[in-house]
Formats: sequence, structure tokens, C-alpha cells
Amino acid sequence: MRVELSPVRYWRHDLSHCLHNTAGVLLDHHGLDPVQALGAAWGFHYPGDMRREEYYLPGAADDLFAGLAPHHDISSRWHRPDDVEQGWRQVRERLAAGEIVGVAADNYHLPFRPAYRDVHTNHLLAVYGFDDARGEVLVADPTPPSYQGPIPLEEFNAARDSGNPVVHERDMFFTSNPIGNRWLEVTVGADQPEFTPDFVGRVVEANVRGLLAPDTPSTSGLSGLRAFLNRVGGAPEASPVDADEAFVVIGPILAVTGLHAEFLSRAGHDSGDRRLAELSRAVDAVAHHWSALRIAVATAGTPGDREGVRVRADRLVAAHERAAALMERVPASL
Amino acid sequence: MKTAVVDLSRYCNNRGIQPPGSSGEYGFNIWGNTFPAEELPEPGTRVGVCGVPFEFPVGAAPSGDNVRCRGQLVEVPPGDYDWVYLLGAAERRTEDHLGLVYADGTELAEHLRMSDFWPETGSRFGEPLAFRTTALRYPRHTHTPHEPSIWQQRSPVSVRGRLRALRLPDNPAMHVFAVTLVRDDREVASCASN
Repeated sequence: MRVELSPVRYWRHDLSHCLHNTAGVLLDHHGLDPVQALGAAWGFHYPGDMRREEYYLPGAADDLFAGLAPHHDISSRWHRPDDVEQGWRQVRERLAAGEIVGVAADNYHLPFRPAYRDVHTNHLLAVYGFDDARGEVLVADPTPPSYQGPIPLEEFNAARDSGNPVVHERDMFFTSNPIGNRWLEVTVGADQPEFTPDFVGRVVEANVRGLLAPDTPSTSGLSGLRAFLNRVGGAPEASPVDADEAFVVIGPILAVTGLHAEFLSRAGHDSGDRRLAELSRAVDAVAHHWSALRIAVATAGTPGDREGVRVRADRLVAAHERAAALMERVPASL
Repeated sequence: MKTAVVDLSRYCNNRGIQPPGSSGEYGFNIWGNTFPAEELPEPGTRVGVCGVPFEFPVGAAPSGDNVRCRGQLVEVPPGDYDWVYLLGAAERRTEDHLGLVYADGTELAEHLRMSDFWPETGSRFGEPLAFRTTALRYPRHTHTPHEPSIWQQRSPVSVRGRLRALRLPDNPAMHVFAVTLVRDDREVASCASN
């Protein structure tokens, strides 16, 4: 039997990792614009649930795609098969039924990844078909070096069944967390919002409410952001966040921030509303602060470097507050 | 156009260009990736990028081939300039302030925007491509095709005056490989302030 689902197209945002890249491929397959869906929500929420997964999204363990696109009717569910045979059987059945899926994998076993036969690290990619006769699986991975096409089923299964062990002295961030043959079922509702000024206005209103009046102020919104960055910056009264935790948490936040800037830029272009264009620029500036802070944290080897982290964290908060102030000036009804 | 190539050798703190078969303290980014040296000019070469001369890679630098930006004060040949041109690349795109330090000690900030070096990632800020290699080096192997980039940035010297130094951004995601200051001789002559 051979199955090749379509359309499956390349999609990637330059500040994203495999999580958003793969989500974009999956949503595009379902007819959604990835930027409109993945770029709508923006805020801060970190309940301390960091996992060493490149597809980690803070606070979205139960429903990853609902966390990625809360303004759309999209949900997902991780399946955790008992073993590799059940893992492939389940994915194959879904593909045969016409459903594209996401799978977790260890790059060490994926022939097109630079980590192949070198470094263990977990990864997320889309699966859109298989060929029983050739013993191949069709995968789509837009994360550079991008690849779309067949890989041997044997390697695919090895990647999914990997224990993802630490082998080298310093396998970075996403190792030592078994893959467990997990795969991701994504459900996209039939009724999705149009990208209208009204929708954009409602999105911005919800986002600013989440920033300024969050349900859980200690871990969400601007107050939660300040608390997190106090910890990252090593404030005396704050429990410290180690560099690995900060790096992993910042990764998806950076991606979401960049995507939201893109979302606003498109909305401003479409509507001609300069407030959205200005807000987009302010949000992009926040993304660029996250880029800097992420590397500052990861490279802070001296007391001077750590002081630099604190200064960067303060600058990021200020940029975020400026963006929030601009958001308040965008009316809910554009 | 008059140019002044800035000597960055004593400020270099990062080894991002790696010869084949070498090991040691290399690592442009935090993952230890590097540009393959065999695809780039010899250290100390004077190269032209979009009409601007640079020393690239920097020659005779004991501690690396680029500057990971942490607010270093970089002395420049004193003079009146219109543009600061750079060869640089970032670990994810970013932007920050570049300080212009004048002869009287005044320090003014200009914007510096720098695109990502990562393969398959374009110039976000419209910077011309300076160099792109066909491979990316990893700590234990070289992956090809996998094409990282170095871009050419520029910042204006908006306020006229005699520069004596640049304050690099305190932004370690930014890497600067080369700096050249440019005075544009086409400047309108009758612009003296009253």
C-alpha cells in the first residue's frame, strides 16, 4: 500500500523551531494560514513546566495546539504507544485514513538531520505518507536543513523509539528525554475565524487583557514576565532559573513573539491601520530582545556577563511594557 | 569615498571560522557550529563587499576571528565619517544600539540590525550578503549542503563630528567580523551649520 497525502508544503518562520515549523505544515495542510493561526496569541505564561523537548510550549502540556492557536478551533492530543510496533501501526492507520500527523523523533536516527549518527536530540516533524513496498515513510521537516520526502521505515522507527541518551560531554538542551514513540493527533474545526479587522481587534484586546490582568499574575502576563526575568537575571530575592531552563523556555516565547509581529504586520498592511504597523514594530523589537537575552543567558560565564543578563532582562521588560501600551491604543473594534 | 578599515584583532573573543580537521575552542554559536575556513578568504585578506573594503577574516588575532558583542569600546582611526559598515551575523536576528564615541567624549547611539547566520534564513533587515559557505561545521563533523551566511550591515553617523571609537552593542547574539568606516566624498559642500 502507498499513501501520499497532499497538500504538504514547506512553511517556516525564521524565529521558530521545529514546533512552530511543523505546526505550520500541519495547519497549512488543513487550509489554514500558519501566521494567522500561530501568530494571533501573544503574551507571557510560564507555570514552571519546562520539559527538555524542542517542541515544548509553556503551559500547553495537555493540548499543544490549543496553546499554539487559542483564537482558533484547533486542538491536539499526544498518543503514547506501548512500543515501536504499536507506534508505527497507529501512525500508519491514521495516514491510511487520510490524516497527516506529527511525530516526535530523535535526530540521531534521521538521515537528513546534521545530528545523524552524532548527537541525540528530540525533534518534531510531520508525516504525510508511506510506501509499504519500499519500506519508506514520507516526512516533512522545514527546520533547516529542510527536507521533504521518504526515509527508511527502519530509521523512522528507530528515531521514534529512541531513549535519546546523553552521549557526548555536552549534548545541548533537548537530550536525556526518551522519545517514547509519541505522535500527535491534530484536530482542526470546520469553522475558523476570518482574518478581518474585527478579528484582529478582538485578538489584540484579548492579548492585552492577558498581559495586564492575567488570571495567574505570578506566572502570567507582564507581572509573570517580570517575575520570570527577575529569576533569570538573578535578583537577590528570586529563586534562580538555571541557564538550560531559561534557554528552553525562551525558545518558544521568541518564536511566538516573532510570529505575532508578523501577524500584526499583515493586519496593518491589509487594513492600512498605522497603529497595527507601529505595534508590529514594537513586538518585533521585543522578539529581538528575546534573541539577545537567550544567548546572553547561555553564554554568561563571568560576573560581568551575568550583570549583562540582568540589564538585558530589564530592557526586555521595558520593551514589552511599551508594546503593551501600544496594544491598549488599538480599539477592539477596528 | 574615503575608508578606514578598523583593526578588530585585539577585541576578538570568539572563534567562528574553523579549518578542516581542527579541534579546540571553536564555536560561533552556542551549539559549537562554525564556518568552514577553507571556503573563506585567508586571515588578513582585504576584501570588497558591495564596494566597501574590509579586512576579513581578521588577521593575527590571538583570541578569535570575530567579536561577540558585549559592549566593547573599539578604537577607530580618528576622523569624520558618514557610515559605519560591518560584516556580521547573529544567532537569531536581533537589533540593538551601536554607540558612536566622538572626540569630545560624547557618545550617541545609532541602530544596528543584524540578520541570522543560520542556513536557509534570509536577510531580515535588507543587508547584502557578504559571504555564504556551502557547509556548516559541527563539533564532530561538517554538514553539507548547509549554508550559513555573513551579512553586511551599516549604521549612519547621523550627527557629524570627529569619531574616535565605537561602542559595540551589549548583545552577545551579535557577532562582528569586520568594521570599516566610510566618508562619502559626494557630501554636499554647502551644509555647514550656522
